Amino acid sequence: MSGTIAAEKGSSTTKTPSDFLKSIRGRPVVVKLNSGVDYRGILACLDGYMNIAMEQTEEYVNGQLKNKYGDAFIRGNNVLYISTSKRTIAEDE
Amino acid sequence: MASEEESAVKEPLDLIRLSLDERIYVKLRSDRELRGKLHAYDQHLNMILGDVEEVVTTVEIDDETYEEIVRSTRRTVPFLFVRGDGVILVSPPLRTA
Repeated sequence: MSGTIAAEKGSSTTKTPSDFLKSIRGRPVVVKLNSGVDYRGILACLDGYMNIAMEQTEEYVNGQLKNKYGDAFIRGNNVLYISTSKRTIAEDE
Repeated sequence: MASEEESAVKEPLDLIRLSLDERIYVKLRSDRELRGKLHAYDQHLNMILGDVEEVVTTVEIDDETYEEIVRSTRRTVPFLFVRGDGVILVSPPLRTA
């Protein structure tokens, strides 16, 4: 299960950036903005402009957790990259 | 689950539509934040907000002591048009506010 991402890299599942975008819905992701701020959460959906909708989002500034959002929509022009992470969604209190 | 080729896949903008007439939190460039009621929006994220509170955050560094002075300036505006290119993030309001 956890090795799927590495296995898919060499296979023909993800060929183009569009295929990648279609394949990562529902996964925990890291979204880095041009400003350097980090957002970690579960990707709900995204579009061709890299507009992003995420759930359980955490905002990291300089590596420090600053905010938590239940839902977050991020305007695509601010996005530097979207990366999948093997973050375990630990619902710790 | 069957692998459906949905052409009507939900876009992030579709999900913003669910927040219409609700209070939202908007993060803007230049360290600004807005909280207000979303009346309208478009694909550029231009927005019409009502009963808005704007918070501008500045950090000053003292030349001598090098301490950071964080200042927040607030104002309220009854009706506001927000140009979409300044928008970074949109969310339901934070509970910890």
